[in-house]
Amino acid sequence: MKRFFLAFIAAYVFLFLWGWLLNGVLLKDVYAETPNLWRPQSEMMSLFHWIIIGRALIVFAFVMIYASGFAGGGVIAGIRLGVLLEIAAIGMRMGFYAVQPFPGKLIVYGSIGGLIEMVIVGAIVGAIYKPAPARAA
Amino acid sequence: MLPFCASLACAARSDGLSGHGHDGRGAVIPCPQKFEIDIVKAFCDEALGWAVLNKTLTETIMNWKKFFIAFVAAFGFLFLFGFVWFAKLMHGAHQEVSILWRTEADFGNHFSALVFGHIVMAFFFTLACVKFVPAGGAGACATLGILVALIHAGADMITFAVQPLTTKILCGWIAGALIQFAIAGAIIGAIYKTDSTSTT
Repeated sequence: MKRFFLAFIAAYVFLFLWGWLLNGVLLKDVYAETPNLWRPQSEMMSLFHWIIIGRALIVFAFVMIYASGFAGGGVIAGIRLGVLLEIAAIGMRMGFYAVQPFPGKLIVYGSIGGLIEMVIVGAIVGAIYKPAPARAA
Repeated sequence: MLPFCASLACAARSDGLSGHGHDGRGAVIPCPQKFEIDIVKAFCDEALGWAVLNKTLTETIMNWKKFFIAFVAAFGFLFLFGFVWFAKLMHGAHQEVSILWRTEADFGNHFSALVFGHIVMAFFFTLACVKFVPAGGAGACATLGILVALIHAGADMITFAVQPLTTKILCGWIAGALIQFAIAGAIIGAIYKTDSTSTT
């Protein structure tokens, strides 16, 4: 449980920083191409708690999946899980692209950023979380 | 072959892996530490060894036929449920913020992205289910589906914070994702089940 919590915190901190770097800095100009699709900055800040909760939910679910089906494989298993889930998420992103008028490059850059994000999250979780040793009979 | 077998059995005996006594299957030779040379078939029979190796391989190799059926079923369900839930039942809610969506004609031009996205999603979700629960089972895969839906729910919350969506849309998306992935996981688990280790 302690390692679960540590993995959660470490992955959460990384996800938050990476999310800020990717969406707030690197892709800022791409987002600016479609201002009508986004809330104004002040409105986003008033709903910032949804970003905090949303990221926490993503990390919690990721660590839960790792702990219940992939633990024991270490960093490699974590990275594999991250890649697996992110590629599934790219499929979801393509679905959004079909219904919302996002620029194509936003989907491409967002997917690349997402893949890097989940690989590192997987590595962090895999390195920190270790399954409890089996009890002797 | 005999020296290898003998040394192997000798090592096994020294590790306490086989029992003591003379049962007529081997011979006793003078060993410095009084090891008994026992030619045990399990160690020496190459055919048996290959069978054991084969079994180990089939335990790790996926059943691709079942995997493919599960993937197709998952894709069919994800696409159909998505159409009913998100396009039909939530149509009114989506129209409240019509500026966020493509026009009908534009959507038609991007329909292939929707189909391909669902194929990718179904394929990798099926793969995740198979890796998560190699033995299959509707319950375990439905649990994975719920956890995956929580990841989508988290992403939906972030989208809600940055895009002018209504709370009705947010709730609809989260509920939809939970139902969609739980059922899709159950379908995959039910199809990719039981004797999945017997075929390659």
